[in-house]
Amino acid sequence: MIKDLNNICNEKVFEKLFNTHAKDLRRFLFFKTQDMNLAEDILQDAFIKLWDHCNNVNPAKAKSFLFTVAKNMFFNYKKHEKVVMNHQKRAPKSSNYETPEYLLVEKEFLVKIEEAISTLPEKQKEVFLLSRIEKKKYKEIAEIVGISVKAVEKRMHLALLKMKDKIGDV
Amino acid sequence: MRENLTTEGAYFLAKWLDGTISDTKLRTLVSEKDFIDYKKLKNGLDLLDQLDRPVTPSFNSVKSSINQKINVKKTQQSFKWGLSIAASILIIFGCYFAFNPLDTRYETSYAEQKTIKLPDGSEVVLNAKSVVNFTQKDWDTNRSIQLKGEAFFKVKKGSTFRVQTPKGQVTVLGTKFNVKHTDAFFEVVCYEGKVSVTNDKKEHILNPGNSIRKIDGNDSEKYTSKKLFPSWVNGESSFVSVPLNYVILELEKQYNIEIDASKIDESIIFTGSFSNKDLKLALASVFKTMNIHYIKDKNGVLILQ
Repeated sequence: MIKDLNNICNEKVFEKLFNTHAKDLRRFLFFKTQDMNLAEDILQDAFIKLWDHCNNVNPAKAKSFLFTVAKNMFFNYKKHEKVVMNHQKRAPKSSNYETPEYLLVEKEFLVKIEEAISTLPEKQKEVFLLSRIEKKKYKEIAEIVGISVKAVEKRMHLALLKMKDKIGDV
Repeated sequence: MRENLTTEGAYFLAKWLDGTISDTKLRTLVSEKDFIDYKKLKNGLDLLDQLDRPVTPSFNSVKSSINQKINVKKTQQSFKWGLSIAASILIIFGCYFAFNPLDTRYETSYAEQKTIKLPDGSEVVLNAKSVVNFTQKDWDTNRSIQLKGEAFFKVKKGSTFRVQTPKGQVTVLGTKFNVKHTDAFFEVVCYEGKVSVTNDKKEHILNPGNSIRKIDGNDSEKYTSKKLFPSWVNGESSFVSVPLNYVILELEKQYNIEIDASKIDESIIFTGSFSNKDLKLALASVFKTMNIHYIKDKNGVLILQ
């Protein structure tokens, strides 16, 4: 088999493609499925399929291959779900609908949140990002920034307040 | 928004966000609508976290799934083949034909068939109206042969054996296979060994009896045959689901006749065979079943209607 830099069957090429596209695909799948676990499953299956067909797919076309495959997998999953539901004697278990409707998340909403974060005043943004992205505790943030824990809490509180107001009615 | 002004509760949103204060408590501190908004917001933030987490664990899962699959395949393969040749034929459907002047050339004319022995003992059986070119010198290290038309190859184990045709290249390590190229018809049949066919659109694995073909720019097709070698080696041309025009071309090659097919639909699909030794019989085999008649004009050209 030809192992060259333009062939997906080359492990390095495959890994690079994974690192390039996996997050986007995962994000896309989450919005479609509203289910993080299902999104992760389909994500992995799609890449496995890409590997299976590594000789037939041009690396430049890998992204569209992955998304198309993922869409089909989800479609098949839904078809299967319908069949399963039709065969269930009882009403569908509420566990399928655990997520209260008001918590279903849409892409636009997440985009709004990201935007709201980016437009926070510097002091609040700094503390907010240290907490959410760096996963620092308020005590640690206080040390890093050189302020009191109370001051950290104040900034976090105000940040959330601002974000809620900015996003408005969802 | 109601704000609890005790020092403890002043910044309750921060406390709620890191889990110090529960949802229930928050509910007592804000309006129901605000609670829902905050809940949605927190949910969204959690999701953003999840969507942004590193992909490495996912990649590791994918890798181990793939390795599991490969192990299963390997076990099956070694069980099937044991110590037999790991013959793999790589076919690249290229669009180029590099013609190098090679010192040895064999050609068959109409209705002719030739068996050629190559310097290393490999054999080429050349079908009618075909040409092969190769260089005798350094043959053992550079087994490369050019083909126009159709030939059946019996390759002895040795260095990489390459067959180049204008429409594609076949690379093999010791096996028996048939390569046919005519105009826009490209076909490879594997008779022994295992074949991996790669072009830039599809990959196929051929086992003995399997073949791959590409006709007129359509997608590659696969089919299976139970033969041990191509039938034309024994004087019979056979076809499986081939457009009629290629069958007619073969008739012309085998019998050195000219056929005018302008009055019929040459794209009809034909499955069957004809003898290379008896023209009348051959014509009947091909045309009778399809209700096509023919007459000979004064130049001996067969006109189909």
